[in-house]
Amino acid sequence: MSEQVLPLLEAHDVTVRFGGLVAVDGVSANFVPGELVGIIGPNGAGKTTFFNAISGVQVPTAGRLIAHGHNLTGRGPHRFAAHGVARTFQTPRVFPDMPVAANIEFGLKFAGKRRRKYLFWGDEVGVPWALRDAASILSLIGLSAQAELPAAAITPSQQRLLEIGMALATRPKLLLLDEVAAGLTESEIEEMARLIRRLRDELDLTVIWIEHAVTTLLRHVERVIVLHQGRKIADDTPHNVVRNPEVIEAYLGDEMAEPSAEEEEVAA
Amino acid sequence: MTSRQFLIRDLLVLLAFTGWTLALPFYASEFVVSMALTCLMYVALSSSWGLFCGSTRYLSLATSAFFGIGAYTTAILLGQFSWVETIAIGAGMAVVVAVVMGAAVLHLRGTYFAVLTFGMTELIMHAVTYFEKTVTGTVGRVLTVVPERDTIYLTVLALAVLAVAVSIVVRRTRFGLALMGIGADEQRAQTLGVNTRLVKIAGFALTAGFAGAVGAAMAVRWTYIDPHTVFNPFIGFQTVLITLIGGVLTLWGPLLAAIIFSVLAESLRLQFPQIYLMSLGLLLILCVLYLPGGLASLRGETFKGWWNDSRDWTKDLRRELSGEKEREKQRLKRREKESHFV
Repeated sequence: MSEQVLPLLEAHDVTVRFGGLVAVDGVSANFVPGELVGIIGPNGAGKTTFFNAISGVQVPTAGRLIAHGHNLTGRGPHRFAAHGVARTFQTPRVFPDMPVAANIEFGLKFAGKRRRKYLFWGDEVGVPWALRDAASILSLIGLSAQAELPAAAITPSQQRLLEIGMALATRPKLLLLDEVAAGLTESEIEEMARLIRRLRDELDLTVIWIEHAVTTLLRHVERVIVLHQGRKIADDTPHNVVRNPEVIEAYLGDEMAEPSAEEEEVAA
Repeated sequence: MTSRQFLIRDLLVLLAFTGWTLALPFYASEFVVSMALTCLMYVALSSSWGLFCGSTRYLSLATSAFFGIGAYTTAILLGQFSWVETIAIGAGMAVVVAVVMGAAVLHLRGTYFAVLTFGMTELIMHAVTYFEKTVTGTVGRVLTVVPERDTIYLTVLALAVLAVAVSIVVRRTRFGLALMGIGADEQRAQTLGVNTRLVKIAGFALTAGFAGAVGAAMAVRWTYIDPHTVFNPFIGFQTVLITLIGGVLTLWGPLLAAIIFSVLAESLRLQFPQIYLMSLGLLLILCVLYLPGGLASLRGETFKGWWNDSRDWTKDLRRELSGEKEREKQRLKRREKESHFV
């Protein structure tokens, strides 16, 4: 490699075993600052388990995880959060009884573990303007009008946005999004994709995005990792990935031959 | 009301409560004062229990273990150390045990946690009994040096006020927020940066410290203590019941329920001990079914809601009994049939 950028997160041979089942089988990947990476794979490919491993929720059976030079293997999710790794969950897991704004404030309260520095009153050094407080995060994700409602009272798609807002409140460097577009309408998906690009471009976040709907994802990311039966079978640009015979095989071998047809359409 | 106004209100209520209980021994009879002492003991136990177990939803049955540890500390050390020192050591011992116990069982949830804490209480009780029998060759201890009755009252009062005050403060801190987050969704709280393990152990230890201190202070009420009296699981159960009935998430619920309970207990226990236990069970069932937020969540609207519910229910019942419902069903069926033919 010509340029040596210290990766935000390095996964070395991450393996997760549940009894006899190998959910993730020796996956290695590096994520450098500013990337927008997609992870795809047929059902049961180990996408979410891989996510759980790189966010500390699931301690890997084998392998190493290094965040910006710190070895975090086997540490709890709060250590990952402290090193700037934030995630959302497939089914929104907001605090239902708390108001929307309080949900965001929860993350803000615990984000300060990373040695806060103040310039003037409350102006923290190195925190993007858009993430300075709950109100600004709410306007970024477009939930300002719902700020005072209990989180259980907003719609599921708004809860998804709130999930992202909660993750942003930890002031992350790496944002892991688990199927944030699932179950959304076409226009909502576009909206979501625009938001994700904005987060990457304006807040300099690195984003890893899992999605089951391959078409949507391939249109928006710059690099795709394909998982199949727990293994990484491709790690390339969307253009090359859809031409990778192993990927086509994985999707055709699966009952759903449909996605690969869609992929061709995207590539065209 | 804003959060600051709530804080002022809570502190004022606490102040009034403190003043009233402080004045009690000056005008009330001995019976009332002894009842107030039991009441204050349960205020301290259930407020501190609710602080951790209520917000995190970790149902601990180990209160009697910490209570007993405190009581035994007093039995062994009082005489060599001063009253305040003894209580501090009792609380400290309970905290140490809670940290060890917490580290061992706090990764479990729900029933498993409850059962294990109960098991540990039994374990501690039997260990103490065994130790007494084989090493010191006694069962139980007689307390010879006992402080004055007023001292005991004031100590337990101070502990109760401290427990409520700590609850008021903790609710407004990051620590309290972390406890709430653990109760709502532990894993989510973790991914948002909460060191849940540390927070849980600290919360458990805080609760245990209060139980230990209360046990140390109350031990002198009995002049003779043995493991079965001070590790009595009933103390733990009663604490849980009082907190649940009062409202686990509320600040004043445990206090309210503790007062009601002590009055009920003292007035019924002597004449009708069975009725006391039955009414306790009945109240718990009613609370769980109709008032999940506890007594402290009672509002005007609650009664209105009950009233509306019961009105709807009787209306339905009347229709059912008069046969109107049956007729309506048949009408509907007939209409369906007709529309089918058309």
